[in-house]
Amino acid sequence: MNGNRTSLILSCTLAVLLALAGCNNNPHPRPLREKRADGTPWVVSHLRIPDDPRSLDPQFSYDTLGHAVIAQIYESLLQYSPFKTDPYELEPCLAEGMPRRIKNPDGTETYEIRLKRGVFFHDDPCFPGGHGREVTAADFVYAFQRIADPAVECPVLSTLQEFVAGLGPAYVEARKAGKFDYSKPTGAITVRDAYTFQLHLLKAYPQIQYWLAMPFTAPVPREAVEYYNGKNGRDPFKFHPVGCGPYRCAEWARSRLIRLVRNERYSATRFPAGGWPKADDARFTSLAGAPLPFLDEIQFAVIRENIPAWLLFRQGYLDRSGVGKDVFSSVITAGQTLSNELRARGITLYRDVEPGTFYSQFNTDDPLLGKNLRLRQALSTAYNEDRANELFGNGVQLKAEQLLPPGVVGYEPGFKNPYRTQNLDQARKLLAEAGYPNGIDPNTGQPLVLTMDVVASGAEDRQRAEFDQSQIEQLGVRCKIEENTWARFQDKQINGHFQMNTGSGWNADYPDPENFFFLFYSKNVPPQGSNYVRFSHPEFDRLFEQMATMDNGPERLEIIRRMNGILVEQCPVIYSFHPVAFTLNQPWLARVSSNPMLTGGLKYVRLDTALRAQKISEWNRAPAWPLWTLGAVLALLLGYAIQWARKQNV
Amino acid sequence: MPIWLSNLLLLAGCAALVALLRAFLFTERSRRALNRLRRDRVGLACAALVALLLLIGLSDCFQINPRQSALDYAFRNVPREEGYSAPLATTTFNERDPKPLNGRHLLGTDLLGKDVFLQTLKGCKTALIIGGFTSLIYIPFGALLGILGGYYRRWVDDVVQYLYSTVASIPGILLLVAVMMTLGKGLDRMAVALSLTAWIGLCRLVRGETFRQTAKPYVEAARALGQSHWRIVVFHILPNVMHLVIINAILGFSGLVLAESILSYLGVGAPVGTPSWGIMIDSARMELSREPAVWWPLAAASSALFLLVLSLNLLGDSLRRAFDPKAG
Amino acid sequence: MLNYLIRRLLYMVPILLGVMFITFALFNVVNTPTQMAYRILGPKASVQAIDNWLNNHGYLDAEGQKIPTYFNTAPGKSLFDSLYFRSMKRFATFDLGTSFATDEPVLGMLKRGAIPSLCITLPAFVVGLFLSLCASLLLVFVRDSLIDRWGAVLCVAGMSIPITVYVIFGQWIAANLLNWFPAFGFNLEGFSTARFIALPVVIMIVSGLGVDVRMYRAIFLEEVRAEYIRTAQAKGASHARVLLVHMLKNGMISIITLVVAALPFLIMGTLVLESFFGIPGLGNLMTNAIQTSDFGVIQADVYLGSLLYLFGLLITDLCYAAVDPRIRLQ
Repeated sequence: MNGNRTSLILSCTLAVLLALAGCNNNPHPRPLREKRADGTPWVVSHLRIPDDPRSLDPQFSYDTLGHAVIAQIYESLLQYSPFKTDPYELEPCLAEGMPRRIKNPDGTETYEIRLKRGVFFHDDPCFPGGHGREVTAADFVYAFQRIADPAVECPVLSTLQEFVAGLGPAYVEARKAGKFDYSKPTGAITVRDAYTFQLHLLKAYPQIQYWLAMPFTAPVPREAVEYYNGKNGRDPFKFHPVGCGPYRCAEWARSRLIRLVRNERYSATRFPAGGWPKADDARFTSLAGAPLPFLDEIQFAVIRENIPAWLLFRQGYLDRSGVGKDVFSSVITAGQTLSNELRARGITLYRDVEPGTFYSQFNTDDPLLGKNLRLRQALSTAYNEDRANELFGNGVQLKAEQLLPPGVVGYEPGFKNPYRTQNLDQARKLLAEAGYPNGIDPNTGQPLVLTMDVVASGAEDRQRAEFDQSQIEQLGVRCKIEENTWARFQDKQINGHFQMNTGSGWNADYPDPENFFFLFYSKNVPPQGSNYVRFSHPEFDRLFEQMATMDNGPERLEIIRRMNGILVEQCPVIYSFHPVAFTLNQPWLARVSSNPMLTGGLKYVRLDTALRAQKISEWNRAPAWPLWTLGAVLALLLGYAIQWARKQNV
Repeated sequence: MPIWLSNLLLLAGCAALVALLRAFLFTERSRRALNRLRRDRVGLACAALVALLLLIGLSDCFQINPRQSALDYAFRNVPREEGYSAPLATTTFNERDPKPLNGRHLLGTDLLGKDVFLQTLKGCKTALIIGGFTSLIYIPFGALLGILGGYYRRWVDDVVQYLYSTVASIPGILLLVAVMMTLGKGLDRMAVALSLTAWIGLCRLVRGETFRQTAKPYVEAARALGQSHWRIVVFHILPNVMHLVIINAILGFSGLVLAESILSYLGVGAPVGTPSWGIMIDSARMELSREPAVWWPLAAASSALFLLVLSLNLLGDSLRRAFDPKAG
Repeated sequence: MLNYLIRRLLYMVPILLGVMFITFALFNVVNTPTQMAYRILGPKASVQAIDNWLNNHGYLDAEGQKIPTYFNTAPGKSLFDSLYFRSMKRFATFDLGTSFATDEPVLGMLKRGAIPSLCITLPAFVVGLFLSLCASLLLVFVRDSLIDRWGAVLCVAGMSIPITVYVIFGQWIAANLLNWFPAFGFNLEGFSTARFIALPVVIMIVSGLGVDVRMYRAIFLEEVRAEYIRTAQAKGASHARVLLVHMLKNGMISIITLVVAALPFLIMGTLVLESFFGIPGLGNLMTNAIQTSDFGVIQADVYLGSLLYLFGLLITDLCYAAVDPRIRLQ
């Protein structure tokens, strides 16, 4: 009996130990295949996506999350050139060449576009026989129809309908009828032949080229939309994308994983034949003209919290990582280079300025702040952006002194904004000129009280709001913080129910100054547009209208300079920073392009699987001593309990 | 509100509370219980600790001038720094060019350079407000409904039961989040939200006890003597369920403080600038993953929270034992 | 018994109606449909897009006017053609509606999340129950000794640590010291799913142990003082036998009723744990819905939670009624 029990305990312990030995801390599911058809290893990349995209419908999705995946699955007529970032440049993708611009005598314009031949949609059950058919001009007609379809809810329709012929009327008609009639042409596109079509614009709009590089205008197979309409238990089309890009979506396990697999028949683009920086000659010369993509499978793991994502990167289970604020000081040294520890691991660091600008807004309709220019200037001068940068941006964000970010035409390097360097004496002088010496309202004898709206959900938002408050209060003015949910914040912005708010910003849809200055155009005051500060300045408006449709050149630059001057002097916003993204790549992941506008760049990426396997096993040794310690403690406790029970119960 | 008025209200409130407790302590049963409590060393120690933390909280409520409470005044010599600094360090923490500190800090400083020890002490006030305000709202409400339901029975009881079953059916944390989102942020609003879920347990308990008490001979006797319902409830039943209410309030207080930390995690906690333990713990998620880790705000806040909740719970247990010696 | 069951079911109806009213009213104040549209469509949405969204999601009537929230007082309209009554109608037919963020049917999302949630809660529940029963029996076994005293204090100490602290420390230790289990993630892959759930399950057990041990200890102590124990002891049964046979049997009745009421809730998962460890369960779904104010999901989840709660109560009552026939007649 006793011997039996001992052996039982022994075998149980053994089983547990064996189970633990079989354990490893790899969180990823198995790749679809171990080897390629030709016997070479199957290359999988593990990347993080911070949340599930809401949709993978190219005509609907308008967030970075969605675009990060969509751009690998769908391709558009044009794409951003991988090596041109200052200024950004477009190159043909599905189109054979750049669109030909035709100016019509009545002021309208037409773009003629020729498609590449031999571009096929992904193989998918929605096609007869399961084989993807060739992409033709009709697919673009369909894509533009979808933009106007109320049921698709294309978010950029309100902008595009101003310029592209036929979209607006088609939308209105469909709203009336309750259903979009796809058999009727919208008038946006006329088909010349299967590979040639013309896009019609209502007026001059050179920015349309940028739209042709965005997923909104990507071709969509009509078969797929009709097949995946949610009937017969099939996922709707937006969860089951079918495009013609380098990867197709093999699996989307919501909240967990998006798995993309290489499109075997991809042929639209190849590795560029040149154009890279000289230093990269050694890496890229042998690749010039190579077929794309290089990776066989991409697994996007949905990881909402930053901390676990960083842990997984440290263990080698993510190929790429951003640098969070929390880990920043341990990763990046004073000279903005990588820390020794990470460098020893072979990790490389990249720094990219993103085409966006963040700022705090004043409501220029506000009876107090709107009329009092000096007050706005005083608050702007008092704000210590460098300290904020130190505390919240690790001192590496690019301090913004103008609206346009680097890379956008019209950005002036070295421009100094007189109200954006902290100078408390100057600020107090301006405040006195504004009529509130030392922040005291002479009418009441009490400090002036300002209300600042913030969106505060996380710990960092809270700390940031507290800092912003302290910046205003150092002038003697009182600042009341009002916390909002995001929706309520937006509601206040749209209805103008705020005095000032922080944390607003604009990320470029496309790298053209028009996409930034229109935020201050008086005809764009909500509900018409996004001029939340309700800025209204006749001269600025006149210049904007002139600048918007101009071709780039010295004349345009001069107008942009004047517009920038008006914004600086009028202070409708306190500029804070242009976001700077730091990216870490594991030693086995080679970076190709540093272009933040090129979201579909994963097709250029290569990866060394052997090195990864070696490093991961090196970095993840599991120590055994905690197990023995635990066992010893348990044994001690058990022994004590048995002894105690004997003493009590004899 | 002028300072003198708010201070006066504070003192008056404390006085009223003490008077109420005194009145309750005059019953024979509670005097016996207190005698028993006097021999319970753990209970006494916990009571002392709770009293200390409450006093710190109260001192932070008492305003010396518009910008300083008594607690701030006591710590007025503690300088503010530029950013993180470790406990007792002399320079700021792990910055590229560490800046010398203006003073020593027992528990270091936080991101904005505030002294963590002072912030932790100030957290007492937030805990006191959340626990105290909520108790002030839900205890009268829950106890009243419970007594009414247990005493009048029939349709009154049906209504009371319906009310608490309905609210109890909604998962508590979801109800809290929804109410907080509706009302917006603020400690007062958090108290309202918390009391919406807190009264149920008390109401049930009091209702059951009232049921039992009404069946006892002394209530029958009072009825036979022709006393009004109101007199019976106030002078006979209330004193006999009061100890349950107090024990429940003490145990509930700790639950409320813990709930605050979960609400902070979900982003509907205390407003910006409130020194609260829940918020300090929530911020620690990021701070702990810094390398080297910033551990002192988490350690300070969670030990303070732990101490308060632990001593409240142990005190509640001791009181229960004192009132009901049979229950171990 | 059937009569009793029907009576109990009918009793649930007004409570459910009350719950639905409260949730609808609360969330409608938080998020008016227009605010919802801002939230979903993002900062760059135009007014036209918002109007279109409202129309597609049934907030506008045929004339493009907003449908009133509670009562439709417009002339020529049914008084009950309002958002409130529409949503009541949906819930009465157990239609959980769709998520506002993705337009997916919530039922599908709940089904998908149930299994990962159960993977965590079920083992944690079973093992936790076993451990806390053992620990509480041990404490009762040595009652009034020093171990009992400090055991009780230890339980209270365990209760006093917020779950967030447990989770933060647990993950930190697992990822920095041990490399046994993945620090994050989830994958249903048969037996080796265990390596994903080990850490959250351990944390859940440890964080719940204090409360349970204390409660079971109180229940057992109540039993120890009962007459039958004294009778058994008088008859000469050994100390261990009295505790393990007589007391356990009787104490288990109260414990089982407690446990049964908690069972349906296992499917709801855990709010904090799941989002920390990336378990795609219902708790994660819910945390995410709260943070993105996805009213559709939250309302359905609250409704489901209430249903489960009432269901748990019903089972408990039926258990009682089965044991004690007098209850049925009341």
